[in-house]
Amino acid sequence: MSGSTVQILEGNTFVVSDERGDIAASSTDPTGLFSFDTRFLSRWELTVNGDRLTVLSTDDLQYFQARFFLVPGTSTVYVNSTLTVIRQREVADGFHEQLTVLNHAGEPADLRIRLDASSDFADLFEVKDALKKAGQYETRVTGGCLVLSYRRETYVRETWISSTVPAEIDDNGLSFRVTIPPHGEWMTELDVVARVGAAEGTPGSQTGIPGQRRVRRNMARGLQKWLERAPDLQCDWEPLEQIYRRCLTDLAALRFSTLTMPDRSLPAAGLPWFMTIFGRDSIFTSLQALPFTSELAANTLRALAERQGTRIDDFRDEDPGRILHEMRYGELTAFEERPHSPYYGSADATPLFVVLLDEYERWTGDTALVRDLEHAARAALRWIDQYADLQGNGYVAYQRRNAETGLENQCWKDSWDSISYRSGDLPGFPRATCELQGYAYDAKVRAARLARQIWHDDAFADRLESEAANLKRRFNRDFWVQDGGYFAVALDIDGRQVDSLTSNNGHLLWSGIVDKSKARQVVRHLLGPRLFSGWGVRTLAEGEARYNPIGYHVGAVWPFDNSIIAWGLRRYGFKEEAACIVAGILEAAEVFAGRLPEAFGGYPRSLTRYPVEYPTACSPQAWSAGAPLLLLRAALGLEPQGDHLIVDPALPKRIGHLELLDLPGRWKRVDAFGRGRIDTDRRTSR
Amino acid sequence: MPTQRADSEKPAGDPVSSFFAGLAETGHVATFEGQSATVRLDVASRDEVERWHLTVSRGDVDVTREDRPADAIIRTDRPQAEAMVTGRLNAQAAILRGALACEGKMAAVVMFQRCLPGPPDSTGHATPISGETVMARIKAAQRRPA
Repeated sequence: MSGSTVQILEGNTFVVSDERGDIAASSTDPTGLFSFDTRFLSRWELTVNGDRLTVLSTDDLQYFQARFFLVPGTSTVYVNSTLTVIRQREVADGFHEQLTVLNHAGEPADLRIRLDASSDFADLFEVKDALKKAGQYETRVTGGCLVLSYRRETYVRETWISSTVPAEIDDNGLSFRVTIPPHGEWMTELDVVARVGAAEGTPGSQTGIPGQRRVRRNMARGLQKWLERAPDLQCDWEPLEQIYRRCLTDLAALRFSTLTMPDRSLPAAGLPWFMTIFGRDSIFTSLQALPFTSELAANTLRALAERQGTRIDDFRDEDPGRILHEMRYGELTAFEERPHSPYYGSADATPLFVVLLDEYERWTGDTALVRDLEHAARAALRWIDQYADLQGNGYVAYQRRNAETGLENQCWKDSWDSISYRSGDLPGFPRATCELQGYAYDAKVRAARLARQIWHDDAFADRLESEAANLKRRFNRDFWVQDGGYFAVALDIDGRQVDSLTSNNGHLLWSGIVDKSKARQVVRHLLGPRLFSGWGVRTLAEGEARYNPIGYHVGAVWPFDNSIIAWGLRRYGFKEEAACIVAGILEAAEVFAGRLPEAFGGYPRSLTRYPVEYPTACSPQAWSAGAPLLLLRAALGLEPQGDHLIVDPALPKRIGHLELLDLPGRWKRVDAFGRGRIDTDRRTSR
Repeated sequence: MPTQRADSEKPAGDPVSSFFAGLAETGHVATFEGQSATVRLDVASRDEVERWHLTVSRGDVDVTREDRPADAIIRTDRPQAEAMVTGRLNAQAAILRGALACEGKMAAVVMFQRCLPGPPDSTGHATPISGETVMARIKAAQRRPA
């Protein structure tokens, strides 16, 4: 997204416009009003007496609200303008725009104010891939409304545009002929409503999708309450306070509700293109945020359980017990040209679902939810054993069955070249990546605790523990790269190690699958010159054939990845090393004004001085916004133990004194304090 | 014109009746142990509407043909209903494209969707792909002009 675009959103409805508030979408300029993964406006252009406007300033008032101060004409003449135009826009089930024109002259102003409107009703996937439409367009004027409509068989999407001041409406927009008295003003409100429906005479025409038309919430109050409920952070290092606030606000913006749970919100993956439920991203973000808010975790668990797989469906890569990867509502999904209804092609979301359930209970003590989701957790564990063992060797592996539109790499490093041998060659399929084994191990260990303490099934707990121990033993033998002193990124179908050195080793520490005797060697790599850039751990080590400092999963540094690695380092007692990651990533966050990008370049810190942002489509990204929260947990060594919260700080010196007040949990509210004592500069100045 | 058909009158081999009979016979679906909801399927064929009412109470399942209110009502016709209960029609996609109508609570609709079988031609298997094949495909793609 270029710097001149403004995004505002609520739930899965969002507007991307230029800084004047105009929308003029083209294949290279993905602006518009989007809802339910469909573009409902591709043109929304304001003119006054035929002139486009020039921006004086743009305010993002809240994540769901923006205000544009404009003058008619091009920038060379605006200083002479006697008119000011103010557009204030708020997103709801479409958007609401208050348009005000001020006349500063001593003469009346005769104006023709015009809004050109049209829509291509593109599916989000089409916006990204520029595909052709199969249906028909229609425009009509009904009861003072301009209705833009798209129909393909029974599928209908409509945009209803109306104004409080009556307009002259034609097929291309709305016009107002007004005379504004000297020093007077004129105002109208415009409503743009996105409607999801079905063709008349078809079964769907009576109703559409239940829950689509939601009651408009008091969004401003919602954000205020969200911020007030969060623990209070105070710190000697000022940037951290800004980073913390930015994270909370971004996570608030990334909350959305599913149709099945209209009153509960969970984290979507990224703004604007990924405002939907993603199994993996929603789980990781919930894990990161758990010490600060448990609501996201509870709602994510419920929403994912509600859609857990129940059958074999090759197109959707669905199996019984599998947790979904991604859910979409657009035309391509509706006509089964894409499998996202929902799509299940993820090999990590299922074990991670169990991990989150246990971690959630450790923080909250909410045994009721753990009991409610007992069957879902058992089904997830069954999936690991019965459906994920695609290599027949007891390891979790993935291979898509939907070869056309399914995902090739069903792990978090999902780009085509992310899993490679040292030589740069790529393995065949199925692939058993290492972190999946860690997650499966952790899922079993944690489920054993739940089985023993909450489900009261000791036999099941015993079985899980013995399976986990067995998995750990075999894993440490089969994945350990003897001549490298680290774990291979994967096993290929021949059981051969895919032997490149990757950040996945850090996820293995987090999962606990690493033998204590091997941990030090792994840590030496994570903080060593090939993986650690000074800002953070690279996805792929320098020296590997595919290493590229600006390669998405082959060299870039991912804040989310690093937050998990820091947690993993703490788990194995490597406090100082964890503090180095905390320092590196938080200092990068400072450079990015508090908002960490999805990824940044893996260049050595001494070379670029500033982290180089990786150009991605989404910002903020949920698990990047969640990363500083998990880093704070790692820095303070927060760990629930029974009804108590252990605080064991290991802070970078720079942070100085840090207080985190009112941490919620089964202990009600607890304060955590720490003082920066660890000198991280030696390592981060690399 | 009767709006309901007694169970004894349903045509032999009717997939919709068999589907619901199967659910009723099971009596308990562990998948829904954490859930309680009611769903009604209204199937229109010519002048009559056939109804199946499904109650799930923490996993216990009960089916009746009575015209009772429900948390969600799904309305469709015979061909679609048969396609749905035999896994040939994906209900979620059909709802999105307006081919299936539903009203009430979406959570109950989703629960019902999860009772439905998968596509009959899905095998659950994919043929393994060798590393050589993967590399050959990449080289071929790189040779192709952009």
